[in-house]
Amino acid sequence: MKLEFGEFLAAPECKVVIVACPDVFRTEAGLRHGKFSSEYRELSAVIVLDPTDMAKIEVKDSDLVEVLGEEGVVIVRVKESEKEHPGIGYVPEGAWANVLGAGPASAKVRRSQQGIAAIEDVYHR
Amino acid sequence: MVCTGCALLCDDIEVGENDCRHACRIGDAHITSTNQIDPMVNRSPVDMDTAIKSAAEILVSAEKLVFVGFGNLVTEAQATGIELAEKVGAEIKTFHTGIFDDILDGRVKTCTLPEVRDYADIIIFLGCDPMNTHPRLLSRYAYYPRGEKRQHGWEEDRTAITIDPRFSHTASICKDSYVIDPHRQIEFMDALMDALLSKVPKTAYDKKRILKLAGTLKKAEFGVIFAGTGAAAPPRDAIIRLMDRLNESSDFRLLSLAPGYNLRSIAEQLRQLHSRPTDDCDVVDSDSNSGGSNGGDGGIDLHKADCILCLGFDLMNSLPAHGINGKLIVIDPNETLTSRYADVVIPCAAGGIDAAGSAVRMDGEPIELPLIRESGRLSDVAILKRLLEVV
Repeated sequence: MKLEFGEFLAAPECKVVIVACPDVFRTEAGLRHGKFSSEYRELSAVIVLDPTDMAKIEVKDSDLVEVLGEEGVVIVRVKESEKEHPGIGYVPEGAWANVLGAGPASAKVRRSQQGIAAIEDVYHR
Repeated sequence: MVCTGCALLCDDIEVGENDCRHACRIGDAHITSTNQIDPMVNRSPVDMDTAIKSAAEILVSAEKLVFVGFGNLVTEAQATGIELAEKVGAEIKTFHTGIFDDILDGRVKTCTLPEVRDYADIIIFLGCDPMNTHPRLLSRYAYYPRGEKRQHGWEEDRTAITIDPRFSHTASICKDSYVIDPHRQIEFMDALMDALLSKVPKTAYDKKRILKLAGTLKKAEFGVIFAGTGAAAPPRDAIIRLMDRLNESSDFRLLSLAPGYNLRSIAEQLRQLHSRPTDDCDVVDSDSNSGGSNGGDGGIDLHKADCILCLGFDLMNSLPAHGINGKLIVIDPNETLTSRYADVVIPCAAGGIDAAGSAVRMDGEPIELPLIRESGRLSDVAILKRLLEVV
């Protein structure tokens, strides 16, 4: 029987500092399609990681990862960076970044089997 | 027409039946947005009168009341909002206005955007990424255009440099960029200040590059720093110290690239009214954001407020809003994350789209905002005036 991460083995983790960044396409999607749209979610629930950090946690571009921040956890999609920035994860400004805590926030990243949650499920009040 | 999509307030917008010419991505989406909301109380649709009455009841019964936002209201609505806050004893928290206070208090030199276009030869984008926040800044003023004394534009006459924790889209078109560690921004600023005094900086950053940067900055005839106000920007006091050092050997001016189209106006109004700086809460600013607190420098912590009135401000999408349990009232043209969770939602017309008014551009220039289209929605001024009458 093949053991999968998340069953009996913990998925490998790496530590990153989360930096929230603006994204004009995400801002546009929020205005054009609304902040509850799938377009906005797809552009918000993203983390840009350095290839060396991606190798550490054994993920490739477009895989889903769990980001465990100081104040909360989110599932986001990995985007491979074109520039080197080991130890730093860029997340678009907005609800997903805010769940992790005020930036620059420390966080752990690991592979996830779950999907990206709707914005209503990211925030609870 | 004038676009209120950001603080540039671009005044060359032509809105047709099916198109919106000259506007950037943000402006086009802002002007054509149809994500409007209905009046709501406890997440159920109601009529406007009921929503306004419910909001008034909450406002008069609250003891720790905070009004947040103001950056996306026309100047007239800001003035009425201040009046309402004074009447109900609310504290006003504006975000990202710190650098405006420094400019208005004369602590740093500033200039207008046309002056940037006509005279600027060295432009620094410090902790900001205008290609993603103020998309037409570079094409209208800061980099590409030919100006009165900069006839060769970006090819020969201007040098643009980014200093940012990310190699941003803006960095990709600038002549030079410095990517700094988000936790070691002050170290970089101190190293640059040493280099400006021709000292070899004590730093783990590349000393040669910092000395080269200092050499470039010292040669500026008309330097401009566009400073961001978020987590990517160095602390305000470090920016002011850098400005002071730069102006010992050259001529630099500071402009703030903050979110919201009319933040400069609220900073001016609060300063005039109280002759004091606003309770600035650059909450994502590393030095004013200990433990995720939204309290800023004194005043009521948002976590302890029993009522928060969000004026054109998506609180939950803008701040780490964990544990905010007070009643939420939202006055906004569009559906936002905060409106989904609010106790009372009052939709309003959007300034410069279906409500006329005035605003102040990021460089202090007053701009009239004509109506783009009629909608029948109440303006934010009208809603705030009605609240003022009944509280």
